[in-house]
Amino acid sequence: MAEIGSPSAPRPAAPPVSPASVAVAVLSAWLVPGLGHVYLKRPLRGLAFFALVVVAVLVGSRLEGNLYQPVQGQPLTLLATAASMGMGFLYFLLRYALHYQGNIAGAGYEYGTAFLLTGGLMNLLLVLDAWDIVRGKKE
Amino acid sequence: MLSHFLLMVLYALIVSLFFTLLWRRERKEQIKLFLEIFVGMVGGGLLVAWLMYYFPSGPPAPIP
Repeated sequence: MAEIGSPSAPRPAAPPVSPASVAVAVLSAWLVPGLGHVYLKRPLRGLAFFALVVVAVLVGSRLEGNLYQPVQGQPLTLLATAASMGMGFLYFLLRYALHYQGNIAGAGYEYGTAFLLTGGLMNLLLVLDAWDIVRGKKE
Repeated sequence: MLSHFLLMVLYALIVSLFFTLLWRRERKEQIKLFLEIFVGMVGGGLLVAWLMYYFPSGPPAPIP
């Protein structure tokens, strides 16, 4: 029988969590990078994640990378848009408040696109992390 | 303006820090994972760049 705390030991059952609590954790994690972790009482980690995602998005926009939106006839742009929207409010801020347009002729376009996509995808991972933490699957 | 290399290093730094914070809690394990990812990305990028060095670069761009 494996010892308690070893990787193969059965994990103690997590206390039940209300669906509302799960929803708040997940939605806040998506909407503002790191906010889900702050809600789950991990403020330093939340702040660090916020900084990392914001830096990625700032660098990407400074390099005038492409902030994806669906393009008719190009179904893969739907996936890319979903990835970009992973950054939460930052996507809508860039797209609709700042009317951000990438510059395909810019020297940093490809790099900027990579940074923007990565910012979105990192935040989607944070959403999954918050979901695991709120359900007690992870510390 | 940042060079290709510095942008690659910056990207590797962001991603390495992110996954270190996401996956590890103990300081020693965090440092280890950070170095693994960071050195892997930067070193791997340099390795691939050098491997591509020997490929022909193609025709010159047309003069506008």
